[in-house]
Amino acid sequence: MRSSLATGARPRLATRTRVLMAALLLAAPMLVGAGGARAAGPLILRAGTTQDLDSLNPYATALVVGYEAYELTYDFLVTFGPNLEPAPGFAESWQRAADGHSWSFKIRSGMKWSDGQPATSADACFSFQLAIDAVQAGDVVGLGYIDPAIADAGVTKAECPDATTMILTSDDSSQRILQTYIPILPKHIWVKETYKTLGDAKFDAPLVGTGPYMAVEWKSGQYVHFVRNPNYWGKKGAADEVFIVFFKTADSMVQAFKNGDLDYIRGATADQFNQLKTDPTITTVVGTSNGWTEFGFNAYGTGTGKTIKGGGPSTKALLDPAFRDAIGYAIDKQALLDRILGGYGTLGSTQVPPVLVQWHTDPATPRTFSIDTAKQKLDAAGYVTDATGQRMDKQAKPIKLRLYFPDSDDTYPDVAQFIHDWLAQLGIPVTAKKFGSGDLTSLMLPPEGGKPENKADYDLFIWSWAGNPDPNALLQIFTCDAIGSSSDSEYCNPQYDQLYADQNKATSPEARKAILDQMQTIFYNDAPYHILYYDSELHAYRTNKFGGWQKQPLEAGTPLFSYSTIGYSFLTDASVQPSPTAAASSGPAPSGGGGTATPAPSATPTKPASDSGSTPLIIGAILLIVVIAVGFMLLRRRPANVEDE
Amino acid sequence: MGSGYLLRKVSSAIVTIVFIVLFNFVLFRLMPGSPDRLLRNPHITEQTRAEYRARWGLDKPIPEQLVNYVVATAKGDLGLSVYFRNQPVVDVLANRILPTVVLFGAGEVVAIVLGIALGAYSGWRRGGPVDYVGNGISLILYSMPYFVIGMLLLLLFVTALHWFPPAGLQSLGVRYASIFDELIDYGRHFFLPVTTVAIGLIGQYSILMRSSIIETLGEDYITTARAKGLKSGRILRDHALPNAMLPAVTLVAINLGYVVAGAITVEVVFNWPGLGTLTVDALANRDYPVLQGIFLLLSIAVVVANLIADLVYGALDPRVRT
Repeated sequence: MRSSLATGARPRLATRTRVLMAALLLAAPMLVGAGGARAAGPLILRAGTTQDLDSLNPYATALVVGYEAYELTYDFLVTFGPNLEPAPGFAESWQRAADGHSWSFKIRSGMKWSDGQPATSADACFSFQLAIDAVQAGDVVGLGYIDPAIADAGVTKAECPDATTMILTSDDSSQRILQTYIPILPKHIWVKETYKTLGDAKFDAPLVGTGPYMAVEWKSGQYVHFVRNPNYWGKKGAADEVFIVFFKTADSMVQAFKNGDLDYIRGATADQFNQLKTDPTITTVVGTSNGWTEFGFNAYGTGTGKTIKGGGPSTKALLDPAFRDAIGYAIDKQALLDRILGGYGTLGSTQVPPVLVQWHTDPATPRTFSIDTAKQKLDAAGYVTDATGQRMDKQAKPIKLRLYFPDSDDTYPDVAQFIHDWLAQLGIPVTAKKFGSGDLTSLMLPPEGGKPENKADYDLFIWSWAGNPDPNALLQIFTCDAIGSSSDSEYCNPQYDQLYADQNKATSPEARKAILDQMQTIFYNDAPYHILYYDSELHAYRTNKFGGWQKQPLEAGTPLFSYSTIGYSFLTDASVQPSPTAAASSGPAPSGGGGTATPAPSATPTKPASDSGSTPLIIGAILLIVVIAVGFMLLRRRPANVEDE
Repeated sequence: MGSGYLLRKVSSAIVTIVFIVLFNFVLFRLMPGSPDRLLRNPHITEQTRAEYRARWGLDKPIPEQLVNYVVATAKGDLGLSVYFRNQPVVDVLANRILPTVVLFGAGEVVAIVLGIALGAYSGWRRGGPVDYVGNGISLILYSMPYFVIGMLLLLLFVTALHWFPPAGLQSLGVRYASIFDELIDYGRHFFLPVTTVAIGLIGQYSILMRSSIIETLGEDYITTARAKGLKSGRILRDHALPNAMLPAVTLVAINLGYVVAGAITVEVVFNWPGLGTLTVDALANRDYPVLQGIFLLLSIAVVVANLIADLVYGALDPRVRT
C-alpha cells in the first residue's frame, strides 16, 4: 500500500529504477512468449461461439453449443450424412422388414466406449428405452427437446436379441426413425437413471462416449475441451483436440478470430461479417438456419366458431384469410431483411424452411410489397375505411390491433416498428408491446391448454421457431391439435390436418413431397403467419491450420455447428497438405508415423492441459494478499515513528 | 479500540446484511419476465412446465417463497441455477469468483500504489508540472468508463501492435514446459484487463490523495515540523502522509468491497470468465437464483469492506472511537 515515495531514506532514483527493472523483467517474457510454447503439440481446433454452454447433459441443453458438445461425444443410432441423408452411426447398417413396421439395426461389432468397455446393442436399447418410457408416460426427458423424436417416428418398442442387433418397432410408415436425435449413452455409466431422473443427471467431464471426441473439461464461462476418442470407429479428422470457446460479445470473438486465436467462429454480426469477407486469410460462410421469424395472427375460432370471454382476437377480421392475405401485401420483407439483418437471410415464404431442400416449395404466386394492393384487397374483402381513414371490420367496429413480441431477441422491437408504420398506412393502428417469453407464452395460451383461465388475449405477434431435420415439428404447429400447446396462431383447418396425417403415412419421399407441397400452399394462402425471413447462420473459418472444410448440408449449411459432427471428420491438416504422402483426405487420420509435421498421435487421451489450471490463479491471489498485508503493516508501523519524532 | 465500538459496528453490519437478504428477494420478484421462457417448446406439456416451475420454487405463493429462501440462504444453499440446468448456485459462483478477485484485486493494488504516489506528489508540489499534468490526467481517467479504456487498450495493443491476446484467461490447449511458462501465459492475458482496471481507478486515488495532502499541509503540526528544520521529504513522509492517508484508507476499503463485483464492462470487453460476465448472462437469461446469489455476495462484500474500513479507521484515528 505504500508507494516508493514513502519507503524511507534510500535514494529515490535507485528505488524507482529497481521498480522499473522489475516491471520490465516481468513484462519482457510476456511480450516475447507470444506463441512460443506452441511448437509440435497436438493439432488443436478452436471454435468460437457467442453462446455459453448451459449443460453437457444432452437432455438438459437448449443451445446449439450444447448439441454440438453432446454430438461430439455421443453417436446417434443413425447419423446425418453430407446432405442430411441417413448415414451409419452407432448402427453400421439397417433394414426395414417387409411389413414396414419393424426395423433391424446392426450394431458394429467390436466397438468400444472411450473408456474401453464394449459398446453393444444393450447401450442402444437402454438409451431408446428411456425415451420410449417418457413418451409412453406422456412425459418428457429433461427439457423435452430430444425424446419427442421417438414419438414423431412412432417408435413403440426397442428390443435387443443379441449384442449386435437392435429391433425397433414403429407404427409410422415414414423414415423418420432414421432421424431420431437420441444420443446413445453408455449403459454401464447411466444404468441407474430413469427418464424422470436423466434430465437432472450431472454429466461431468470427462465423459465416456463413442463419438469422435470426448469432452474432458468444461470451464464455466470459458470453454469446453475435447480430445480425440482413441476408440472412435469412424473417419478421424485432423484435429487432435477441439476447444469450443464461449464469448460474451461477438466483438471480442471476432477480435480473437482476427488475431488468429480462433480457427472458426459462429455468430458474427452482419457488419463484422462484411468486414471479415475482405480478409484473404478468412473464408466466410452464410448458412441458412432451419427456422424462421414470423409475424403471426390470432385466428382463434377459425373453423370452430368458438370465442373466449374476455379474450381471444379483438376482431373477427383476424379469422379471415382474405384479411390476413391483404395484410401480407403491406409487409416489405425485403426491407426487413436489408435493414434488420443487414441483408443476411432469406425472404420468408412457407412453413418449411428452404434449407430442407428436399421438402421446401416456393409459393406459386408470392405477394409483392404494395400498400396500394393491400388497401384494394382490404376494400374488396369488405374492410373499408371510415371518414377519418380508420379501417373498420365487418361488424363496423374499428380495427385496432395489439402486436406482442418477446424480449428474447433484439431485432423484434425494430420489426414491430416497421409493421406498426405499414399497418398505419392501411388505417389500422397497432399498439406494440414487449413481454418476457414465459409471460407471453402464458398470455397466448387458449383454454384448450388445460387451464380455463387462459384467454389467448392478443391479436398479432412476432416470434420465431427452429425446426428439426424433418419438417414435421414445424408442420405440426398449424394443426388443430396444436391449439393449446404449440399453436400460437390458433389456426385450424381440417383439410390441412388431413394432409398432415396423410404425409405421415406416405410410403415414398415423392408421395410425401407432393402432400407437403399442398400443405405449404394452404399455409401461404391462408396466412396464419407471414414468415418474415429465414435467419442466416454467419460463420467464418481460417484455412492456415485446417483444410477440408465442408458444409452440411452441402448447399445451405455450415461446416461446424450443423446437424452432425461430420464436418470435423473432413478436416485435414493444412500444413501437411502439400506433402505428397499426406494421408489426409482418405482413410484413417494421420497416425503419427508419416510426414514430418504430423501432429503427435493422441492414442492415449492427453490429460487436460489445465488440470492444474487454477494453480497460477491461486498463486496470484496469494501474492495479492501478501502485497496487501505487507502494505498494511508498513502503514501501521508509521504512526509509531511519528510519535517518536 | 473499545469493545463497544467494535460491537456497534459489527451488529450494524449484521443488520444491514439481513436487510439485504430480504430486499434481494423482493427486488427479483419485482423484475419483469420469468425464467421459464426456455419452456417454449412444441413438445413440452403443461405438466412438465409445472414441474419445472415447482423445481425453481416459482409455483409457491410469494410469502412461502420468501421463507424458503431465507432459511436456505442461512444454510448456505443459494438454490439451483436455471440457465446452468440445476447446478447449485454456490458452485456456479465458485467457478467464477477467482478470476474476478484476481483481476480487480491486482488492478486495485496497482491503482492504489500509483494513485497515492501521484496524488501525494501532486499535492506536495502543488502547482508544479507533475501536479498540472497529473491532475489533468487523473480527472480524465476518473471520468472515463472502464470499457472505453479497455477498448482503447485493445485497439492499440491487440489490433494494432499484436502484443497481447485479446480475450480469455490463458492460451488454449498449450502444453506448458514449466510453471514459469504458464505464469507468463497468464500474465499476458492478465496484463490488459488489469491495466484497464488500474487506469480506471488511479484517478480516484490520486485526486483524493492530492486534496488530502493539500489540506494536511495547512495544519499547524506541519508548520511546527518545518520550524524544527526537518527536511521537506521527511515532513511529507512522517508528518503529512500518515494523516493524509486516512480518507484514502476509506476509499481502499470501499473499493475492495467491489472486488467481488468486479468491473462488469471490463470483463465483457476482455471476455473474462468472472462474476461480471456471469451477472450479464444471468440478467439476460432471467437466472434469478444466480442473480440473487451474486447480489448477496456483492452486498456482503461491500458491507464487510465498510466494516473493515470503520475498524481500520478506528485503529488509525483515535477521534472516531467514541
